[in-house]
Amino acid sequence: MICQSCNKNEACMHMKRIINGKATEVHLCSDCARSLGYGEAYSVSGFGFTNFLRDVLLNTESVELRAVPCPVCGKTFEEIAEDGKLGCSECYSAFYDKIIPSINRLHGKVKHIGKNPSASELQSQENYLDSLRSRLAAAVNEQNYQEAAILSDELDSLLKKGGSE
Amino acid sequence: MGAKWYLGTGAQNDVVISTSIHIARNLPQIPFPSRLSLPEKLKVDSLIKQAAENIEDFNFNYYEMKTLSQAEVVSLAERHLVSPEFASSRDGRALLMTDDESVSVMLNEEDHIRMQVMYAGFSLDEAYRTADKIDNGLNSRLKFAFDPNLGYLTQDPSLLGTGMKASVVLHLPGLVTTAQITKLITTVSKFGLLLQGSYGEGSAAKGDLFRLSNSVTLGITEKAAIENLKSIALQIAAQERAAREEIFRSPVTEDRIFRAYGVLRYARLIDTSEFMELISLVRLGAVRGIVSMDTSRLEALMIQMQPATISLSVDRPLDRSERDKLRAERVRAFLDA
Repeated sequence: MICQSCNKNEACMHMKRIINGKATEVHLCSDCARSLGYGEAYSVSGFGFTNFLRDVLLNTESVELRAVPCPVCGKTFEEIAEDGKLGCSECYSAFYDKIIPSINRLHGKVKHIGKNPSASELQSQENYLDSLRSRLAAAVNEQNYQEAAILSDELDSLLKKGGSE
Repeated sequence: MGAKWYLGTGAQNDVVISTSIHIARNLPQIPFPSRLSLPEKLKVDSLIKQAAENIEDFNFNYYEMKTLSQAEVVSLAERHLVSPEFASSRDGRALLMTDDESVSVMLNEEDHIRMQVMYAGFSLDEAYRTADKIDNGLNSRLKFAFDPNLGYLTQDPSLLGTGMKASVVLHLPGLVTTAQITKLITTVSKFGLLLQGSYGEGSAAKGDLFRLSNSVTLGITEKAAIENLKSIALQIAAQERAAREEIFRSPVTEDRIFRAYGVLRYARLIDTSEFMELISLVRLGAVRGIVSMDTSRLEALMIQMQPATISLSVDRPLDRSERDKLRAERVRAFLDA
């Protein structure tokens, strides 16, 4: 296939782009790809994340939509596209649909399969409660009632918190 | 724990210098540090500090960065205990660190929590086990921002998923001399890994030291990322050994090593980059057995000879030539020992 830009060299870079909601295929030779700024997508740092977000941004029709801020930190999608950085963990839910394609491009996947905090959280919580219980028993045994009262309060508040969630 | 790391690693010590695991975590519902006011950052510092006090087996010292001098902060970065980014601005940032400096936790760097475990030699599994313990310990008292699809949520989307970067520092004078590094950097990127200068970037890496790390963190388990890194590191080590065989066929290599040794042994002034270049050659000679030296102390020497760290060791600011003079003295003393 011949490069679509110079129509001379053999195209070595083939990619799909979404422009105005339509998938378009692009075939370029390495020189044209570089001069058109596609080289960055394959560079080791950043993978052109912000450039890609900027494309998504430009395809967002209304200016109002771009200016909607994240409810927790107030960062807008426009600002995120500018520096490639999210303002808080809630930004991910606030701009989920817009950000997912870039994340997919960055990692090649959008499904986490690694460590899950809830498992370790619950296990550690359980361990911690156990240790509180045994320290409480020891304190009562030693008639250290001041210490026992503190431990018992902490235990109560943790158990209450666990129950309400 | 100490002796254990070195036991299984001897076979790779000619190439693999050290191992680290970095893990990023954030607290939910609180903006990332770059969007926090100073009082809010201090609040985050104190929440994490409290949580860290209860982790079994770990005793952390706590440092508010603004209480440290500029030289102390730069020296922390030279020792790879904090990132250069972390050293560049001190307000509202804090550091948790164990006495042996193998574990450090940066608070309010790009993310609320950036922990690091660093071990000598090739010890990825051991380093991950330690990092995992600290992660669980903090997580037992703090909730972390997490999404079932995106994993741990971080300021930079390139860390989403496990939030974990594993890395090894490799000494690659053979691949540098035979001009194979650039090709290697491209090749490893296809395996989701990143190879870059450990001090300085690209082919200008000082001391021929390179850091190999995983660049993909989402859609891969911690274990798989570590296994992948391990196998590529071993392949690079094999290539490095082959390259060393090749360069040692020419008498020039041995000559360069002994010239480097001579300069280090007798120089009266030596700057950081000349030192790094020469010590790399001497290390190559030492693992080859043509220069007799204990290589396990060389990495420490490379760190101690960095500009801010050497200035700190004398408790007064040194200008460039004083530093170069002190460095030359220390290196001579090291080689005489």
